[in-house]
Amino acid sequence: MRKAAIAVLGAVLALFAGTSFYRSRHLREPVVPGPGVSRVVKLGDYFAPIRGTVNDANVYVLEGKEPGGTILLLGGTHPEEPAGRLAAWIFTENAVLTRGRILVILSANRSATTATRLGGAYPPDFTIPTAWGGQMFRMGDRWSNPLDQWPDPEVYLHYPTRQELAYVDIRNLNRAFPGRPNGTLTEQTCFAITELIRREKVDIEIDFHEAELQYPVISTIVAHEKGADLAAAASMFISSLEGFSIGVENSPKALRGLSHREIGDATDAISLLLEAPEPFLDATRGRTNRELLLTGKDEFVVRAGKRGLLFEKIDEKGWPIDVRVGRHTSTVLQLLEIWSADHADKAVDVTGVPRYGEVIQKGTGAFLKDPKTVDPAKLYFE
Amino acid sequence: MSATTSAAIVLAVMVAAFVVAKLFKISTELSLFAAALAGALAAGDGLPARALVEGAFTYFDIVLIFVTATLFMNLLKESGAAAFVVRAILRRFHRHKAPLFILLALLLLVPGALTGAGSVTVLIMGGMAATVLATMDIPGPKIAAIIFVIAGLSAAAPPVNLWAMLTAAGVNMPYVGFFLPLLVPCVVLALLTIFILGAKAKPVDLAKALAELPEAPARMNWFRVATPFVVFFLLVVAGRVFPFDVPVLGLPLMFAAAGAAALLLSPVKIAFFRTSADTVHQLLPLIGTLTCAGILVEIMALTGVRGLIAITAVTLPVTVVFLTLAVTLPVSEAVLMWGAAPVLGVPLVLLFNTIGLNPVVALAGMSVIWPLGDALPPTAIIGRLTTSTVGMKGSYGKFLKYCLVPGILIAIVGTLMVVFSKKLAFLTVF
Repeated sequence: MRKAAIAVLGAVLALFAGTSFYRSRHLREPVVPGPGVSRVVKLGDYFAPIRGTVNDANVYVLEGKEPGGTILLLGGTHPEEPAGRLAAWIFTENAVLTRGRILVILSANRSATTATRLGGAYPPDFTIPTAWGGQMFRMGDRWSNPLDQWPDPEVYLHYPTRQELAYVDIRNLNRAFPGRPNGTLTEQTCFAITELIRREKVDIEIDFHEAELQYPVISTIVAHEKGADLAAAASMFISSLEGFSIGVENSPKALRGLSHREIGDATDAISLLLEAPEPFLDATRGRTNRELLLTGKDEFVVRAGKRGLLFEKIDEKGWPIDVRVGRHTSTVLQLLEIWSADHADKAVDVTGVPRYGEVIQKGTGAFLKDPKTVDPAKLYFE
Repeated sequence: MSATTSAAIVLAVMVAAFVVAKLFKISTELSLFAAALAGALAAGDGLPARALVEGAFTYFDIVLIFVTATLFMNLLKESGAAAFVVRAILRRFHRHKAPLFILLALLLLVPGALTGAGSVTVLIMGGMAATVLATMDIPGPKIAAIIFVIAGLSAAAPPVNLWAMLTAAGVNMPYVGFFLPLLVPCVVLALLTIFILGAKAKPVDLAKALAELPEAPARMNWFRVATPFVVFFLLVVAGRVFPFDVPVLGLPLMFAAAGAAALLLSPVKIAFFRTSADTVHQLLPLIGTLTCAGILVEIMALTGVRGLIAITAVTLPVTVVFLTLAVTLPVSEAVLMWGAAPVLGVPLVLLFNTIGLNPVVALAGMSVIWPLGDALPPTAIIGRLTTSTVGMKGSYGKFLKYCLVPGILIAIVGTLMVVFSKKLAFLTVF
């Protein structure tokens, strides 16, 4: 009797949980290509073994009428850091280019968007409010879904440097660059992105991230040495013009597998990584829910800050998603303006993308397009 | 209501549910599950099916390692390899107490070091080691204490230390550099334990000991004993030397391959399916505890209780944290078993890292202290397992009394490793 009761309880839990897991793995996130998008290709076009896999991401190509430089924006390297995906989304749906090209990947590790952290109690999804109701996004995790890549090794050795990394990081896109053609799904995805950068002759690659406040690399641009001057200038202009401060960190040469190090080393592109503060990721966070994800307000993290345990300020106002998204959009715009001023032949002129102040004032949702107003044939899904 | 008050109420409800469940003689794993359910209800999250199931898979990989490694050890035992090794050691060293103690301690360390579970040491080597020690006129509770303490140290010994692995994963720290910081204290403390508790031991009565030990099969030899271990280590080494040519196998498959070698090389026919079923049956309470600890950890994260514990731990004065490690770690282990690592280990390592200590050595020091809790109620799984496996007569209190001296030594060494972790950073070479 007792065993039967436990079995029934298990079956009921499995049914409800299974439905939730299925829904979040198959949730379709609509993308309304903006006026700047001239075509959409697939990551598999640059490396055939990725074609048709869960990580065969859409690559949105935004082109101006005049030739110029080429920029790659990477969203969703770590999907549990949603401000990066949302900033990339805003560029895809709003940017208008007069010169140059911007390539945008919204789900660099699409597999990682389909799982949430075991033991972490992440919500399966979150909704950004909009004037037309709201758009739902998958929450995601830091690592590729074990359903797509498993088991993990006893220790992960990075290719090609053989640096020893945590076993679980074999599923971390930002520990697997420049990638390995005959490697794991995550390594192959990195290789495909590196191939895209080489073939499209990308000048600057920008990888969007967020970090816990207890992590020392936060509110900063991490720059490969090729991009150190550009990042420093952007930091200076942002601090004086945009209403927020952002630092600059040199990409360490001893830490391997990260986009800012490996892409810069393996290709001609300048590689940069942007970090915004996300209290949701802190180990001392309180209730783990959608509200914390979107408001960034947490009493316990504030207490940790008062004890000097954090590397970024936090108060009762938290770190709302609009602030984090706005930091990313403004940083990219500043980088492009400085780059274009210094490289006339490689300029990328973009309009239509809101800056920090505008995102905070109107909200991220104001820059997401209503998929119901678009011909379904013109919609894309992540 | 503030987040602190809300989380404190939920924590109180979880503790109450656990205590009530234990009072009703419900098993530890189901009591943990009851605590998780009560916590979710008290926090207003209802019955969060997704979180409960997701939490149950938190330690799934570790469970697989646990099962395959224990199956490997059980196959070795069934093949007669374990008896062969113990008998050989006895014949060679029965006149020399010191080398005999050293070899017994090292033999007791191996199964737990490979599997990360002290229970495997107790189940595989405990009975035979107890037989040998009994012939030296050591009292039953003292024998149980020797085996329990070394089994705990074996669980902390490298390469597999589940407390360190779980905590490292929780702070995004590679499980790298732990080998020496874990090996040195575990070996030294295991030797100290057997020499202190066995100080009054008499020389072995060889004839009596050999008569009481299980016979090793006639065709058993060192090649058959060593080859399964060689298979395991070759697979580990291959993954490290040729990482880009060898497919990722994972530890469970490596242990399974070693088990297959033990099966094929066994001089006696082993009932494989019976041994497999026995292995799973033997591990069910521990698998259940790991599964329910994962559920509990997930619900604690969901409700903010994990954050409350974490922020309380990291905002205590550092001296207080150091001085109470010897109590908080074993007590957390007694309640949560490995679940203590993500709940308490993660914030403590973050704190130690923030104040400039070496997180690898500090975590290794904590990992040496944690297993002491396995003798304490409410779980006391390994303590109870040890006393029953060695057939101890006498009270559990007497067994605990004999554990006290090595326990204090372990607590002191572990705490000193945390406090002086920066100076011991040279140990983190691989």
